[in-house]
Amino acid sequence: MKTYRSAALAAAALATANLVAPACAFAEEEGAGGIDILVPKMAEFVPALIAFLIILAVMAKLVWPQVLSMMDERERRIAESLDEAEKTKQKAIADREASDALVTDARRQAADIVLAARKDAEVERQRIVAAAHTEAEEIIAKAHANAEEERRAIFADAAAQIADLSVSVASKIVERQLDEDGEQRRLIERYIKEAGSLNAN
Amino acid sequence: MEAFDKLSGEILHLVQEFSSASVFGDLTVGLTQYSFWLLVAAVVFCLVMVLFVRRASLVPHGVFVNGVEYLIDYVTNDVAKGVIGTEWRRHFPFLLTLFFFIFINNVIGLIPGMKPGTGAIGCTAALAICSFIYFVWRGCQKHGFFGYWKSLAPAGVMFPMNVFVWVIELFSLILRPITLAIRLFCNMFAGHIVMGSFAIMASLFAEPLFEQLSALNAAMALPSIAWLAILLIIYVVEMIVAFVQAYVFTILTAVYIQIAEADEH
Repeated sequence: MKTYRSAALAAAALATANLVAPACAFAEEEGAGGIDILVPKMAEFVPALIAFLIILAVMAKLVWPQVLSMMDERERRIAESLDEAEKTKQKAIADREASDALVTDARRQAADIVLAARKDAEVERQRIVAAAHTEAEEIIAKAHANAEEERRAIFADAAAQIADLSVSVASKIVERQLDEDGEQRRLIERYIKEAGSLNAN
Repeated sequence: MEAFDKLSGEILHLVQEFSSASVFGDLTVGLTQYSFWLLVAAVVFCLVMVLFVRRASLVPHGVFVNGVEYLIDYVTNDVAKGVIGTEWRRHFPFLLTLFFFIFINNVIGLIPGMKPGTGAIGCTAALAICSFIYFVWRGCQKHGFFGYWKSLAPAGVMFPMNVFVWVIELFSLILRPITLAIRLFCNMFAGHIVMGSFAIMASLFAEPLFEQLSALNAAMALPSIAWLAILLIIYVVEMIVAFVQAYVFTILTAVYIQIAEADEH
């Protein structure tokens, strides 16, 4: 602002010099014919000079610094916004790459999990089938044993009944009362057992 | 034709009307119609800038603020930065004030009934003197008083040629404010004379029709339409001239500042 004040002072000094000078440049302004139009009139020169200098001083002091600072601030904000936008863009690109990598990794892991699950399921299936086979064989063996035992019980019961029946028939035939717990009964039972073992073989 | 007979007299009268006449005091101490309108333009300039500063914001809104900002940006980028370069900030206030002062004066002169402050050589001479003092002062600041005047002659020219060149450059320097003042004045003055002439022609040709309504007078008044159309075109051209002349004055001042501050002339 100091520079403008000194410029204004210099211009004002020049104008004053023009005013107090013998007005050699402006003396012939009256009645100079066509050229008169190109001769500056003091009544125009001085007010214009003063008005311009005052306006220059006022504008240089009050208006243009504000305009400049506003323009600078706007420029700074725009630059910041552009930087921010660039950073956001770069971050978005990085995030996307990271998320893509995550998705890829997740897919790979999912595929691994599915593969492992299939393998486990296969192992489990084989284990279950093997266990089922074992159990079935055990059940079959147990059933065979049970059947054999049942058969044996039935056979023993049948032998007992046959023995009772034979003793009864024999006593009726020989008309002799035989003792049910006697030697004959044991003979019959041994006979039936031998017959049963022969039958079993 | 009667209209053409009257035309030369009317145009002479028009030119006389455009000559400076005192509205207060006399032509030495006082105000002419041009300096009066120049002061009006100065007040308008202040009002426009006060309004602009109040309304201006980082995000400009409205035609007024955007329009003023457009002009400021144009002068800043095209004149200050474009011509002066990195040192543009130091000259920004002077160039902006100069541009807006001339532009508002030119625009005020386009309003019917008003006169442009720049339509008088006295006003344009004041601006040219300010411009002259400014760039010489900046040159002296950069190179020193004697250094600046010495630098008018390019370095490396042998004696006595450098003396001749120095004298020629001095004349060129002195002619700069004169050409600045006359260019702006003549453009504004001549433009308004041309507009006034076509307005006179339009009214002269239509005058008989207003006095007496007849088919002959109506036919004679037909050229008035053409004169009016030309007047409108010239008016539009003058709007452009109002901007262009402010721009030319400012850019030439910027060029002179750049030359004055340049290391080598």
